[in-house]
Amino acid sequence: MSSRPSPLPAFHRAVLRSAQHLVPVSERDEFLRSWHAELFHMHHCVPRGRLSTVRLHIDLPLGVVSDALWLRTHSLRRSLAGTPALCLASLLSLSLFSFAFAVLSYGGWHGLGVHLGSQAEHCLVAVPIILFVSSAIASFSHVELNSIPHTLRWINHLLFAGLKTSLALLLTFLLSVCLSRPLYIPLPRAADLLQILFFVLFALLAVRWSFHDQEQRCKQCLCSLATPARVGRPSHNLLEWTGTEQTCKQGHGRLSIPEIETSWHQYSRWIDQTSSLDHVASA
Amino acid sequence: MSNPRLSHSAALILKAISLGYCFGFDVMEITGLPSGTVYPALRRLERDDLVESRWESEEDAFSSQRPARRYYQLTREGKAAALAATERYPLLARLLPEKHT
Repeated sequence: MSSRPSPLPAFHRAVLRSAQHLVPVSERDEFLRSWHAELFHMHHCVPRGRLSTVRLHIDLPLGVVSDALWLRTHSLRRSLAGTPALCLASLLSLSLFSFAFAVLSYGGWHGLGVHLGSQAEHCLVAVPIILFVSSAIASFSHVELNSIPHTLRWINHLLFAGLKTSLALLLTFLLSVCLSRPLYIPLPRAADLLQILFFVLFALLAVRWSFHDQEQRCKQCLCSLATPARVGRPSHNLLEWTGTEQTCKQGHGRLSIPEIETSWHQYSRWIDQTSSLDHVASA
Repeated sequence: MSNPRLSHSAALILKAISLGYCFGFDVMEITGLPSGTVYPALRRLERDDLVESRWESEEDAFSSQRPARRYYQLTREGKAAALAATERYPLLARLLPEKHT
């Protein structure tokens, strides 16, 4: 036996070479190293006959590919978690899925088109009322910004809020259409009424969620705020600040939400950390 | 800290590691699970801090005439989770024999 470990069979080398492209670049070397060691063990350390051909030629390549896929999805999940793009993409895919389900349940485009035409008009009338009611009764608190925001940042903020709310409303409309479908043939009038009721109920919830979600996002990058931490002691409320602080994962800033509104800390406060760091650097 | 709820496969893999089966193929062989289940599950367990991995030293590997292996071992949370899983799935203890080294 030579002092260098002998190479793997061509088939397994080809599988590794193809699967490595699925793995993020930063983890590729370690992936190849661990799989090379595993496959080497199977070929050279396990006695012949203990491993079946199926396991060697089907199960193991599947293992290599699923491991590579897991690394890729994990890396995507880490980089996309909480981003506005993921939020919009999730809402859009749910809407498309609901739309496809509605097309199937109404027996094609034509059936759905006839039904949607009349229902969409009623729902469009309801949308401004729902937005008004949601804004009036929403329990969101005012957020004080410690730094003057850039106009472009505010435009992004408003665009994201508008798109998210519109997609959420579209999704609730499609959901209400799908849910009222079973009653559409036996009781068409009751189905119409039920669809509008479902839409109003879901839309109120969706708009409230949209407002709440917008509050819990970074004022710069619009990613969801994370790592909520309690600050202060409730029993010392008159002596010191007490509440919750949430931070942006990118380090743009933190949101302090007071537990009890006091004259010296009445509103939630967004503390921009990038501008304070710039200030320190310039000083 | 509360013990995480593990699937039967994850509990089986955790139990195998606690019994001394410490690298991918070893775990796959003793549990009988397909490689497509074992390797991603090991990564998930490592992400959740239930197992940790270390590379075998190059000298040890070289003396055995093979590439260095990635060995897995239970963390403190992993040991607690393996105990909880054995209580939840009592058959686990009988399914897997201890590894003879």
